[in-house]
Amino acid sequence: MTILITGGSGCGKSTYAERVIASNPHKKRYYIATMQVYDEESVRRVARHRAQRQDKGFTTIERQKDLGALELESGCAVLLEDLPNLLANEMFDGGDPERIIPALESLNDRCGLLVLVTNDIFSDGVVYPDMTQEYIRLLSRVNRAAAMMADQVIEVVYSIPLYIKGGTSCV
Amino acid sequence: MKLYIGGAYQGQTELAVQENPDAEVLTDFHEMVREALRRGEEPRAFAVSICEVKPDAVVVCNEVGAGVVPIDAGERAFREAVGRALCVVAQNAESVTRCVCGIGVRIK
Repeated sequence: MTILITGGSGCGKSTYAERVIASNPHKKRYYIATMQVYDEESVRRVARHRAQRQDKGFTTIERQKDLGALELESGCAVLLEDLPNLLANEMFDGGDPERIIPALESLNDRCGLLVLVTNDIFSDGVVYPDMTQEYIRLLSRVNRAAAMMADQVIEVVYSIPLYIKGGTSCV
Repeated sequence: MKLYIGGAYQGQTELAVQENPDAEVLTDFHEMVREALRRGEEPRAFAVSICEVKPDAVVVCNEVGAGVVPIDAGERAFREAVGRALCVVAQNAESVTRCVCGIGVRIK
């Protein structure tokens, strides 16, 4: 089972994603953290997320790029947070964005439950410099590939889940 | 409490007024959150206080969080704060309506 969760800034995506994992029976739960921690704001963000998911039985894996090389036991539950950070790392920090979709496909094959968190960054109507436009374009490609492989796609709107693909709630 | 949301100028204010002619309508809630941030208030606490003080109000707010994460720390904080505050309002609201091109979709 693979679930893609999208939504805007501060809409409750992470909280919802954690609830999805916590309400499923998989014993082995991994949280793949992709964000690079480089300033005080990101330190606070990590602290907030860690507090939020404590007691939910996650093992945290810090992995900023190259998810395809991760070796996880098959049948485990994985929460990957999040695709925009992963893409930024692969694009702007000496990685390779082309390996993201194959890595997601291999996680999709291996995991018993895979929850992918992405971000809706597509609707502010701003035309950005070329490099940012390319980032937006590539993120949309990653999102669409993830949505295609996902059994469910959910948009979280201020804590309310909307089912874009795949029917009803699994929480 | 009821919540109406939508992108800029999607008709959420008009719809809120039309569907709730006798209620107090708090328009541009995102600007109220901006002011609260300026005063140094925590956005969720601000939203909780609105829910407590005006439990029968109709809150109207723009969706502002669906863009590229701003480089400016203040703008970044603003977008996230609106999201956090609206999660509180949405949880408290008896209904949430999302307006697209003037058409309301009841999502709660």
